[in-house]
Order: sequence, then C-alpha cells, then structure tokens
Amino acid sequence: MISQFFILSSKGDPLIYKDFRGDSGGRDVAELFYRKLMGLPGEESPVVMHHDDRHFIHIRHSGLYLVATTSENISPFSLLELLSRLATLLGDYCGSLGEGTISRNVALVYELLDEVLDYGYVQTTSTEMLRNFIQTEAVVSKPFSLFDLSSVGLFGAETQQSKVAPSSAASRPVLSSRSDPSQKNEVFLDVVERLSVLIASNGSLLKVDVQGEIRLKSFLPSGSEMRIGLTEEFCVGKSELRGYGPGIRVDEVSFHSSVQLDEFESHRILRLQPPQGELTVMRYQLSDDLPSPLPFRLFPSVQWDRGSGRLQVYLKLRCDLPPKSQALNIRLHLPLPRGVVSLSQELSSPEQKAELCDGALRWDLPRVQGGSQLSGLFQMEVPGLPGPPGQGQSTSAPPLGLGPASLSFELPRHTCSGLQVRFLRLAFRHCSNANPHKWVRHLSHSDAYVIRI
Amino acid sequence: MTDSKYFTTTKKGEIFELKAELNSDKKEKKKEAVKKVIASMTVGKDVSALFPDVVNCMQTDNLELKKLVYLYLMNYAKSQPDMAIMAVNTFVKDCEDPNPLIRALAVRTMGCIRVDKITEYLCEPLRKCLKDEDPYVRKTAAVCVAKLHDINAQLVEDQGFLDTLKDLISDSNPMVVANAVAALSEIAESHPSSNLLDLNPQSINKLLTALNECTEWGQIFILDCLANYTPKDDREAQSICERVTPRLSHANSAVVLSAVKVLMKFMEMLSKDLDYYGTLLKKLAPPLVTLLSAEPELQYVALRNINLIVQKRPEILKHEMKVFFVKYNDPIYVKLEKLDIMIRLASQANIAQVLAELKEYATEVDVDFVRKAVRAIGRCAIKVEQSAERCVSTLLDLIQTKVNYVVQEAIVVIKDIFRKYPNKYESVIATLCENLDSLDEPEARAAMIWIVGEYAERIDNADELLESFLEGFHDESTQVQLQLLTAIVKLFLKKPTETQELVQQVLSLATQDSDNPDLRDRGYIYWRLLSTDPVAAKEVVLAEKPLISEETDLIEPTLLDELICYIGTLASVYHKPPSAFVEGGRGVVHKSLPPRTASNESTESPETAPAGAPSGEQPDVIPSQGDLLGDLLNLDLGPPVSGPPLATSSVQMGAVDLLGGGLDSLIGAPNFVTPPAATAPANLGAPMGSGLSDLFDLTSGVGALSGSYVAPKAVGSISMDLQLTNKALQVMTDFAIQFNRNSFGLAPAAPLQVHAPLSPNQTVELSLPLSTVGSVMKMEPLNNLQVAVKNNIDVFYFSTLYPLHILFVEDGKMDRQVFLATWKDIPNENEAQFQIRDCPLNAEAVSSRLQSSNIFTVAKRTVEGQDMLYQSLKLTNGIWVLAELRIQPGNPSFTLSLKCRAPEVAQHVYQAYETILKN
Repeated sequence: MISQFFILSSKGDPLIYKDFRGDSGGRDVAELFYRKLMGLPGEESPVVMHHDDRHFIHIRHSGLYLVATTSENISPFSLLELLSRLATLLGDYCGSLGEGTISRNVALVYELLDEVLDYGYVQTTSTEMLRNFIQTEAVVSKPFSLFDLSSVGLFGAETQQSKVAPSSAASRPVLSSRSDPSQKNEVFLDVVERLSVLIASNGSLLKVDVQGEIRLKSFLPSGSEMRIGLTEEFCVGKSELRGYGPGIRVDEVSFHSSVQLDEFESHRILRLQPPQGELTVMRYQLSDDLPSPLPFRLFPSVQWDRGSGRLQVYLKLRCDLPPKSQALNIRLHLPLPRGVVSLSQELSSPEQKAELCDGALRWDLPRVQGGSQLSGLFQMEVPGLPGPPGQGQSTSAPPLGLGPASLSFELPRHTCSGLQVRFLRLAFRHCSNANPHKWVRHLSHSDAYVIRI
Repeated sequence: MTDSKYFTTTKKGEIFELKAELNSDKKEKKKEAVKKVIASMTVGKDVSALFPDVVNCMQTDNLELKKLVYLYLMNYAKSQPDMAIMAVNTFVKDCEDPNPLIRALAVRTMGCIRVDKITEYLCEPLRKCLKDEDPYVRKTAAVCVAKLHDINAQLVEDQGFLDTLKDLISDSNPMVVANAVAALSEIAESHPSSNLLDLNPQSINKLLTALNECTEWGQIFILDCLANYTPKDDREAQSICERVTPRLSHANSAVVLSAVKVLMKFMEMLSKDLDYYGTLLKKLAPPLVTLLSAEPELQYVALRNINLIVQKRPEILKHEMKVFFVKYNDPIYVKLEKLDIMIRLASQANIAQVLAELKEYATEVDVDFVRKAVRAIGRCAIKVEQSAERCVSTLLDLIQTKVNYVVQEAIVVIKDIFRKYPNKYESVIATLCENLDSLDEPEARAAMIWIVGEYAERIDNADELLESFLEGFHDESTQVQLQLLTAIVKLFLKKPTETQELVQQVLSLATQDSDNPDLRDRGYIYWRLLSTDPVAAKEVVLAEKPLISEETDLIEPTLLDELICYIGTLASVYHKPPSAFVEGGRGVVHKSLPPRTASNESTESPETAPAGAPSGEQPDVIPSQGDLLGDLLNLDLGPPVSGPPLATSSVQMGAVDLLGGGLDSLIGAPNFVTPPAATAPANLGAPMGSGLSDLFDLTSGVGALSGSYVAPKAVGSISMDLQLTNKALQVMTDFAIQFNRNSFGLAPAAPLQVHAPLSPNQTVELSLPLSTVGSVMKMEPLNNLQVAVKNNIDVFYFSTLYPLHILFVEDGKMDRQVFLATWKDIPNENEAQFQIRDCPLNAEAVSSRLQSSNIFTVAKRTVEGQDMLYQSLKLTNGIWVLAELRIQPGNPSFTLSLKCRAPEVAQHVYQAYETILKN
C-alpha cells in the first residue's frame, strides 16, 4: 500500500507531503527522491526507483512531480493510474494544476487526499463521489472571463472564436460554487487522434496506427444528459459494414462506464450523463488500414561525396490532405552523421526555417496547405565520415547516422480515421434559461511519424 | 485574499499571532488560522507549540474546521502523546455524531494517531462503527482495523475485530467488501500461517459478485485477493476465469493487469486441449497490446510484465510482433525493453521482419540502443537456427561500417555465434581480424582473442596477432588477460613448434608478474599441465565445449513461475521475487502456480460443488443446497411413451396439437418416485426416442419445488416445454432460468415467464423459446443440456438430453454436385454405418417423413432392387451431415451410412433417424 504521497515543485521543493502509514522516513524522503531522480543515468528507467526498501513511483505533470512511495510489493500500475487520476482531480478541484494553485489550496489538497486514500488504500477517485465529502472551497487566482481575448487561440493561428475554445477555460476549477452560474454551462468535446506511422526507405508503409479518443470536459450541472452523435458510417471491427461507402472503420472501441449505448447500434449516438469534470468518453484504435491517404509523404534524395566530405540532402515534402485542410507547426527532424560542421540551405518558401541542433537537422514549417508540395535542399560538410564500403566516391547511399526522419505536426479539424462528431445535444432539466456553450473540436497530431532514409 | 500569504517567512512572533487568532471567537478567523498552521506545517515549520490551541478548536460543528483540526492532529499527535489524550473525548463523542461524515472522520483520524494510549479508547467506538448503518462509516472502520493491527496486533485479536472484519466480506456494500478484503489481505500477510482469509468456493463467489459492483480500486483489491486462491480443479478455475475475463476491457490498466495475473495463474490448471484454453489465450492479447498505447511510464511497466508473460506463454503474443517495433520517440528504457521482447518473440516465421528492423536500429544515433540492437541480432542467430546465416551476414555488413562501437559489439556476438555453431562461419574471421586495431573495449578484445585462440589452426598469423596483444599485457583488464593466456596455450597445443617462446612468455607474465590470484592460478595450472603431460593438457584445454543456447538469457523457470504470480506488482518490474526487496516478514510468502489437474478425474462430491456456479458442474451432479439434498433428490423417469408426439414432424403437422397431446400423456403418467440413489444420470442410457418423455421431478432438500421438464422440441423455431409443480408449502415467485454452455449454444431466447406466483401444489406449463446463439462448450454426451431454475427459495439444477433433430435447419438441402464432391471429400474413416430395424415404410414415405424433419433427399437411385436415398442435413451450427439410406423393398431393416466432418454427431443423427422413422 502507499506509504507516502508528495508533490514536489520542478525545483524539488515539497508542496504537499502526506504520510499514510506512520512511516519513519519523514520528509527527508522527498529530498531523497529528488536527489535520486536527478542523478539517474540516462538509460535507466525513472519509472520505478528504490532506495533500500522504499520504492518511488512518480509522474510529471505540469512541471510538478507527483510521487508515491511504498515499501510493499504492490502494483505500480495502480500507483501510476492513481497519480494521473490525482492530477486530474486536483485540476478539477483547484483549477489547473500548478505550483501556485497547489500552494494556494494546501488545505483543500490535504482534504482531498484524506478522502482519496485511507491508510494508503485507494478509496475513490471520482470527482463526483468526492463532492459529497469535500468542504473546503478552492481559491482561484483570478476570476475567469470567457471573453478574455488574449488567451484565445489553441491552434496557433486558428483564432476564430466560434470554433476554438478559450484555452483558459480549462484552467478553471470544475467545482467551485462561487463562480458565476452563467459561466457554468459549458461543454468541451474534443476528438483527438494520435497518428504513428513508419515508412520504410523504399517508400512502403510498414506500420500505421491511430489512437483516438473523445474527451469531454463538462461544466454543466451533474446529471444533465447529453447525446453525442457520431458519423453514421462508423464501423467497429474488420467485418461490420454500414452505409454505402467504405465506412469509417476502427479496430477496437472502448467506452467510459457512464456511456449508455442503447442508441449506438442503430444511430451511432452515445448517451451519457457526465459528472462535472473531465472524462474520456470513448477510446478507439485503428491500425494498418487508413481510409484516407497519409497526410505527408517525404521524398528524400541524398548525394554524398566521400572524398570531399560533402553531404547533400534534398527533401521533398508533399502534403496529401484535402486542399481545404492544412497542417500546422510541422517540424521535420533528421538526425545527421556525427561531425556535421556547416549547413547551407535553399528552402522553397520564406517562412520556413532550418537549423542544426543537437546533431540533427531541424526544418520548421509553420503551415502547409493540403495538396501542396515543399522542398528543401541542404548541404553539409561532414569531414572523415565512415560509410558503406565497396562503393565509389560519390554515392547516393545514405551515410551512417543519417535518418530516420521524423515529422511532428498538428492537423486541426481533421481526423485520420474520418470520425466526426455529428452533433452534441444537451437535455436540460434545471437551468433552461442559460444557453450552454458547446465547443466541439477535432484534432489529429503526430505521435511518431517516421520515414526511414 | 489568497492563501499564498501563509507562506511568507516566519517572523518573530508569528506563532504568537497564530495563537491569538486560534483563540478568536470568530469562526472564520479560526478557520483561516488553522489553514495557516497547516500551510506552515507543509513547508516544514514546527508548529507543534500550537497543539493545545488547535485542539481547542476541535469542539465545533463546522465540518470544514473540524477536518482541518483533525489534519493537524494526525501530524503532531505522535510528538505530543500527552496532549493527544486531550482530544480523545471529542473523538469518542464524534464517533456517535448523527452525521456519518463526522463519525467516519473521527474513526479515521483516531486510527492515524499512532499513540498507544489512544488505541485503548479507540476500541469501543471502532466496534460500533464496524456495525454502523452507514456504509461510508463501515468502510472507514474496516480500514481502521488494519491501522490498529499495525499498532497493536494483539489488541485487535483480543477484541475480536478480525471476526467482524471477516463478516464484512459479505457486506451488502461493495466498497465495504473491497476495504475489508484489502485490510484482511494485509493482516494475513503478516501472519502467513493464520487462516484469516479463508477462501473457499462460497466466499470466492461472493467476491466475484462484489467484483462487478465496486469501484475500479476495489476491483484491484479483490482481484489480487482472488489470485491467492487455488481452485480445487480445472472446472472451478475455468468458471472463475470466465467471470474475471470481462475485467480485461477495463479502462484502468491496474485492473487489467490484476485480471491478467489471475488468468495467467489459473490457466496453469486448465488443460491445453480445452477449447476454453484457446479462447482465453486469444482474449489475453488485445488488452496487453492496448497497454502499449499509454504513456511511456505505463508502457515500461507493461513491457516488463509482457516480458514475463512472453517467456511463460509465447503463444499469446506470437502474432503481435509489430506492436513491439521501436518508435523513434520512445524513451530509451522503453526501446530496450521492446527490443528484448522482440527477440523473445522471434521465430522462423517472422525472423526476416525482425532482422530488417534490427538492422535499421543498428544505424540509429543512440549508442546504447545501437549496441543492444547489434547484440539482439546475435541473439536471433542463436535462437533461430535457420536465420543464423542471415544474421551473420547482417553483422558483417555492420562491421563494414567501421563505426567503432558497432564493430566491437558485433565481434562480441559473433563469438557467441561461434559457440553455438562451431566450425560453420570461420570464413568471416578474416574480416574480423581486419578490425583488430579498433577494438578498445575489454569485452570485445577478449572476444576477439577467444576467436583467434579457438581457430588458431586456421589463422595463419595467429601467433602474430596474439603476440601483438601480449605487448601491453599488464595494461589489459583481467578479462582480457585470462583470455589471452588461454588463447596462447590453445595456440601452443595446436602449433607447438612455432609458439614455444610465446607460451613461455605469457606463462611467466601471468605467474610471476601479476598480482591477480585468478590469473596466477590459471597460469600455474597450465604450466604444470604442459610440463607434466601435454596429452592431458590437450584433452583439458581443447576439450569440446558445450553449446550455448538461447535459454541462457531466460529467467530461470522456478523464478519465472513465482514472478507470474506477481504480475502487475513491483516484483514484475524488477524481475526479482518480493523477498529480495521487501522488508521483513511482509509479503515474502512464496507463491507458486497451481498444479495442473487432470480434467474429469476429480471425484467431486455434491457437497463440495460450488453452489451457484452451474457452469462448473459435472453433468450428472446436482449441487447441494443443503446436506439433505443428495438423499432427497428424486429422479422421475417417465415411461417410454409409445405414442408421444413426433416432435420432428411437427414442423408441418401442427405441432401444438401433438405436443398438447404429448404433454397430456406425460402429465397423465404416474409420477413414481425412484429411491433416492440419485446422482446417476438416469437418462444417459435411455433411448433417444424417449427424449421428449424424459421427465424429471426435482425436489430440493426442503422439498420446495417439483418441476417436470420436458425436453425441447421443434416448432420451426426451437423451444422447450417445462412443467413446474410446486411441492413445497411456500408460494414461489421470481422464477428465472439459465442454461449451462452446451454443444450447440442453446440458450433461452426470452426470460422464464411465470406470471403469477406458484402456490403449493400448483402446476404451471410453459413453453420457453430457445435460440442457438449462446456460448458453446462441448458436452458429454453431445446433446446434454444442463439447466438451472431459480426462484425465491433456491436454485434447482437438472440436466436433460435433447434430440438432435430439433437442430436440423431448413436450408439443409445440398446441391447434387456439391453432395457428390463432399461425399468423396470426407475421408472414409468418418463414415459410420447403422441399422434401422423394423421400419415398415417404403422409400417415398421415408423420404417425405424425413423431409418434414429437415432431412432432405438429394438423389435417389435404384441399384439391384435396392432403393438408395442420398440425403443431406445441416445443423444450426453449420455442420453438414451426408447420409446414404439403403432400403430393400420388403425388408424392414434399413442401412444408414453417415458421413460428416464432425464424426461425433453421427451417433446422434442416427438416433434422430430412428426417432423420426419409428413414430
């Protein structure tokens, strides 16, 4: 069972310290943890550390370390899960998690910890259930304003109020009764997909994998029912067929336990009565079979002159999104052979940027429109580079240490699986006067988009 | 105003100020003051001096303030035990408060104050709270017992709290159950011998029920507790597994892993040829794969566990190689783990894919990862013999890159490959020798020297090579020195003429100029061997070496088995048994996997059969509902009825009437009671034809219910007729029915509808529609059906045999060509021949009668005066049966030949023919 729990600031100062089992270690333990963490060699896993017979498990969240210790052989999974739940809980109760919010709400945090953990046994982590027990009010730093325009803008340039939720809304505690009731009626629904792709050097696709989830953050009073309509052609599994087209297919789906699925089979509607706070309504997974072409294709060509040590890399990046969509914050990362000394570049448009950093080439493209093609020519000096044998002086075979290229990007208003939220309807019983704000967003981003060279 | 000002530095007199505020009579001010005290406490300031003042604030009806004060008390009571006594009265009073939140708060806090004097006062309130009406208080009290036990174990035993805690396992609230289980598990761990958590089928059943209802965290406690249970046979293991399996799709990965642990452990008891075993294997893979989409920390823990699982049961994940491919942005510790698992999963089938990946990895930038990848290629060569050649050439390619650490790593693994496949790949030695100069790591140097020594006779300049190493002998590490010594001795034994000088040199270096005792000893041994008996020396030094195998990197099996019991715990992350890292006596009970029991060999007595788990029953055992049951079980067999309805022909002939008649005749038959000798399957030997008339009269131990059950019959769709008679003195309500899994997946298509309560001696007749979409398990005999009927009084079990022809479907007519091809295609050993005697019908009549039961005549032929009918039929589960019926005019005996891909149905199909034709 859990012996201690503490929260450390990014500098290692204890913000919260709670001992559940009368452990002798005291707060030196927190210091010990920080020292161990800092002194850890790179290849070792920082997930579970131990000192004598005290075991540390921690996560890092918003710059804070949430740490649990135990001296027994218990499940590290449950501790990791618990810590991330605690992070969510503290966020729900105190507003966004951070050094300031924690130190302002020490008493509240302790009260929460007391209800969540008794003698190191987890009791509950449901925001809703805990509401019955928690007395202390959260202290919020500054009143939240929906129209605080300075904080608007989630996707970089995409600052259309109608489509993008103010980002500071998320930093508000869910459960504060002091806040203005008119502000409470907000729902945020995000469809977020992570795309992992591995493309071999001959251009063939080795692996595609989409992990998606539908996340909900609700400020509505608990128990208000909502219905989320998904694309009707949504199919689960390899064999199911719906609609006339190829359908939106995923391999596996799991739902949050509060989701009622009686309309799912017939109309692809999820019905739920979400508690206040955040929850993941649905998770899904899709591999190997994407309905749309991959967002990016990279065509590299490498010229390498061994004699002079000149390495020339020509990269052509094609964006295969539909012409109306665009990708943002694209960054291409290409590890280079050791000892690269200089870089000269020719880029296809002025807003792009390329530089050497940590032995790799970094090529930043703020935005790429669907259907467009960009290119970059990079020349580098690599003195004394070993390379594949038995070939001539000038060769197109890549030298050792070059690649693989990895891309990171965001695709706003685009899901790789094609899944869309058709509608989000709320049924109100109590506060019919207040018109709730509904924010529905779709977003895909890269998880590991790797192209071998 | 924000609380952040609580953190301002301590000024002189701050304590004094706080004191004043604490004693203020304004509630708000007091509350703020206590908050400040707590904030100071958190940052490590000593505010114990305020103890009396804070305790004074305890007497309040403000819950928020009370909580704050309690928080303070928990922290400082230990350092001020005498003062803590002051708080006791309030605690005791609060334990009686009408507000359950306050009662729970008081008992929780008291348990956390680890002061001996307080514990005495804790007993009475705790006893009350354990029996509190509010579940929130009870669950808090349950944990408090564990706290008290930690402080004073003797007291807990003397006060009888353990028994109360055991009672809480059957509490109605799942949260209370979960906490009681957690507390008991922990207490039990400190007393390994005590039988605190007395797990038996009944209590397991209770836990399994609570499992479905409690929170995710409670589920973890319960699953961990289940994992400690050893089922008494494979049936029980299977039924527990079935109920645990749904947890695999839980969103909380800790629940998933705990469920995996239970399944992995109980699987050990299941026979591998069981269908269920295969199903379970398939079910385990997806949740494990899903775990890999979590954050890197969870991934790492998952991978460590998967590493164990893969070693124990590689078949679970053998098709999932791709998910272990390393992602570019994985943290290094995840990468290394994935690599390890990839090698464990490597097999001849996927080795090409694996090697291609490994080669890619070997060209990445991260040095540690590259090294490990190169090593992995070597391990693949050792593991999959067919791939060795490919691996070696891949390694050679890598050596050609001349990247220093890649070359060294490659040489180390090539040495291992030589040890596994001696005299096979010496051709590469030349390439290796080219890279001699670049080797600067001891391990690589030692490996190279070993190779030179081992193959000295094939390397022309072996003496020069070794001599070059000898120059800096004293600067080498011990590993290299030892290897060099041995290699030169080997060389000398192989080429004695040219190397005498060299060997003398190394021997003197090792024996005279070295401080290392190992080196000296080895040097002397060689010296004496060589000087006394060179032949013996040759035998010793050049002896055949045992081949290495891939098992060298596997976890030792007994340890592995122990670790499997600890899946999902820290032990599985460290890959060490808990005794190696957990202090003292806690948790060091050695666990081992349950032994595999042979299926069907267990002699179950009805008394020990788990109640309420009909799926685990022997077909002929009626589980006990009380001690009397075995004796009072009455089996009532209806006489073989001569004119009962032809269930099969009913499809077209008005089933209702016929059945009505059938039921009448059944009901009319006297219910004679056979003597109580009862577990024999009374209808096993009964002819199939009497399937409909088999009639059970079940009476439970209290003589509660008598039901007559009529076997299912066909009315286009399948249904089952039941006749329930209440033979008890009590009114019966709330009927429900359930089938055990059976060969054809028969299951009730609708709930059992008994509308009015059944009063004593009343009889009700019902028809229950059936579907064939239930779960499937092969039964013995094939057409056996186990049924449980539940009502407000008890659960009643019986089993019955149904005639197979109810399962013949209407689209069972096969095309002639297909028939012919299929008939030829099915091997002859699947053909079964039967005689149907005393059937006076002619071929047409037979054909039409069979057709009405969905046995279709595909073709008819007359050969030498005999009529040959070729017929086909299909079962609900898609099995085709092909038949040839030979009828000789004038002879009432027919010959029936059946061919089917599933020969076990033949006997039952024959019986169906008999039934259809004879009636």
